[in-house]
Amino acid sequence: MLNLVDRPGPSPIFGNGERANRLQSTRFGGKLVNAYWESLFRAKEEGKKVVWYNGTYIPPFFHAHDLAWVHGEAWSAYLAAKHGEMPAQKAGEQRGYDRELCSYARTHIGQALIDLGKLKDGTLGIAPDDERAVTMAKLPPPDMIINAYPYCSSGQQWDDITYRLFGKKVPMFTVSIPLLWGGRPDAGYLRGEEWEQRSRYVADQLVAMTRFLEEHTGRKYNFDRLSEVMGYVKKAARLRLEAMDLCTATPSPASFFDWIVSIAPVNFLPGDQNLVTYFEGVKAEIKERAERGIGAVKDEKYRLFFDGMMNWNKVGWLADKFAAVNACVVAGRYTHMSFWQEPELIDLDEPVLGMAQNYLICPNNHGAPIMIGEIERICDKFGIGGMVMHASRTCRGMTNSQFLIAESAKRNGRQALFFEGDVADESFYKDELLNTRLEAMIESMEAQRRAA
Amino acid sequence: MEDVLDLFEDVAADSLGYARRWKEETGGRVIGVLPMHFPAELAHAAGALPVILQEDEEPITIGHKSVFNFYCGFNRSLIDQALRGKFSGLDAIMFGDHCVQLLGTADVIRANIPGLPILFNQLCSIIDAEWALAETERTFQQLWKELETLIGRKIDEADVRASIRLFNRDRGLMRRLYDLRRNGQIALSARQMQAVVKSSMVMDKAQHCALLERFLTQKRSEPSAVRSVRVFLSGHLCHAPKLDILDLIETCGGRVVDDDLYHGFRFIFADIDEQAPPVRALADWYLSRNRKVPCPTRAVKGADWEQYLLKAVADCRADGLIVLMAKFCEPHMFFYPEIKEAFERRGVPHLLVETEHEGVALEALKTRLETFMEITRRAVAA
Repeated sequence: MLNLVDRPGPSPIFGNGERANRLQSTRFGGKLVNAYWESLFRAKEEGKKVVWYNGTYIPPFFHAHDLAWVHGEAWSAYLAAKHGEMPAQKAGEQRGYDRELCSYARTHIGQALIDLGKLKDGTLGIAPDDERAVTMAKLPPPDMIINAYPYCSSGQQWDDITYRLFGKKVPMFTVSIPLLWGGRPDAGYLRGEEWEQRSRYVADQLVAMTRFLEEHTGRKYNFDRLSEVMGYVKKAARLRLEAMDLCTATPSPASFFDWIVSIAPVNFLPGDQNLVTYFEGVKAEIKERAERGIGAVKDEKYRLFFDGMMNWNKVGWLADKFAAVNACVVAGRYTHMSFWQEPELIDLDEPVLGMAQNYLICPNNHGAPIMIGEIERICDKFGIGGMVMHASRTCRGMTNSQFLIAESAKRNGRQALFFEGDVADESFYKDELLNTRLEAMIESMEAQRRAA
Repeated sequence: MEDVLDLFEDVAADSLGYARRWKEETGGRVIGVLPMHFPAELAHAAGALPVILQEDEEPITIGHKSVFNFYCGFNRSLIDQALRGKFSGLDAIMFGDHCVQLLGTADVIRANIPGLPILFNQLCSIIDAEWALAETERTFQQLWKELETLIGRKIDEADVRASIRLFNRDRGLMRRLYDLRRNGQIALSARQMQAVVKSSMVMDKAQHCALLERFLTQKRSEPSAVRSVRVFLSGHLCHAPKLDILDLIETCGGRVVDDDLYHGFRFIFADIDEQAPPVRALADWYLSRNRKVPCPTRAVKGADWEQYLLKAVADCRADGLIVLMAKFCEPHMFFYPEIKEAFERRGVPHLLVETEHEGVALEALKTRLETFMEITRRAVAA
């Protein structure tokens, strides 16, 4: 996902022409991501078994067992960064996958799976020696498939299809991460009977997953090694949260888009010293900017919250668009309510339960009342004046409660706008609609500011 | 015979109206049930009328403020009905199946009808997991407990067993109708068959059973001797296909002889063990459903929908398959390509029809259906 930010393209002709002042320290993440993919492409040569997985951030389980892992969403994004998503989606459509289906899944299925077979005979529409084809051919096939999707039924079905595309021969394990509905009287954020029961339910499944890994590698699972890996993850997660907290400063020294490019490290890169070093660098740069009053956006006037899944084709574009109206998108549901956001739940002597709990509280896996309560808490903390709701066309998981979130924002005196786009299918994004709506929202916020 | 079918059609057309009248007459509770896997038997044993919530015919209006237009028609209709006050006669809703769109709908309903109890119990969707049985039993025990809280008294095991027996009887009667239709022993249109099944999702079960028994004893008309294309209908999960589409299939020369629709055979194919402890029996029923009639919303490694369909089409001697796919139904969209490929490999004529809550252009569909019937006739003759 990180690579998408660097996708070349002009800045939007919009607003005052200012561009986002991105963090420099995140570039180290680009190096880590490239190193990860290079290492993955060598996995078979190095005798490693490969797990294809989708869903939440379970790589520490693989890392601790010396496996190589491929995150389906990240692989789709990686290919998209190399401009390969369109032929992939077209290939998917040719097989009959509807355009309204999750575009992550369409890209992954259409490109990384079906097309790999077709590359050999050139029926993909890309020459076998094309750089994109060469990249695609590097992906090692799975020895195991693991699915661990909180909330989203489509995510589970996506891997069902992956399993079937490989002839139903690759061992597959599915972890069920149920919704925290929060309907009982004692329900609340990280508390209540449902929370306790569901935490144990997911933790038990994760332990069963380690037995599955043992069965298909012939090696005993080393929980001490898992604790060691999680030591780095926990440290990095704390640094990330501390750095985020520094963005309560005005102007905000980093933006949502900086946190977006920091997802890859915390989502699927190995839990080692590099991860800690990455977030030490990010925190140090943010701290320095805060001390010097340097913002992620020049002359910051408005502070916004981004709701919804990222539009991965438009990360840099959107960062510049908001900067061009002096608006800093300071926080987001996807970045600030996920990816080890409760590191203190993880007991390094017995990390599985805390890991399960972090997976359970992914940004859409709470029923709306608790989830919206958390969003409002974050908005208050960061002094948010407006909400940007990305209605990602093929991602129902992140669009489900958006009307309720927008209503809550209005009740709390915040402006809200919607724009349509998608996670990986650029055709759903309509730039002019966002321009008009953003201009209107900025005018309203300005009027609100003057009236105050 | 027609009077029973007319009654079924009336109930199917206005399920909430039937529930309202039932409530006025009996003073009992009405519990809305979400498709496709909740055991309504438990709500029945609680003395309530379980009503599987249906898409209605009204265009989406006020609902647009709470749901995107890229959600399936069933979800949009549920939200629209909720916001129009159509669920005011419900005393609770049993919610929480696996579909991500339905999970969102649950939240919208909770936010907009705060006084309506939602008995939310998410079923385990990985039904071949080692923990599936224990988790499903736990889920049904929790649901049982929540129903007891709702009605303020214990639900006796004997009452649950009685409900299971009654529901089994109703399903068995409907399966007899299916057998008669497969074997050409009854002239029952697709519209009428939908009314039979859909009304059973709504009506008092004892009343439905009595009417069905009466219907089965009446003199039956047999299908016309004119050779029509024998059609198997597949898909349309959660909500019923529009009647004008079913009618059009038949006016274009098709005769529906079997289906795996939720408002069809998918709803009635499996009975619940009457001897086993009820919670265990309900769990076994739920976990075995997908093996018998595969459902794309469930993960089971050994179940192949396309293989099931090939066999089912052959068993009922259908000439071709028409897949009815509700627009924006992701599980169906994921699995459709495999069905298409399997039927192409086998050389069985098949047609995909995408449906929408707002309706489809019938003239365009008519042309496609006529072409399909012609192709199928030629394939049969070849």
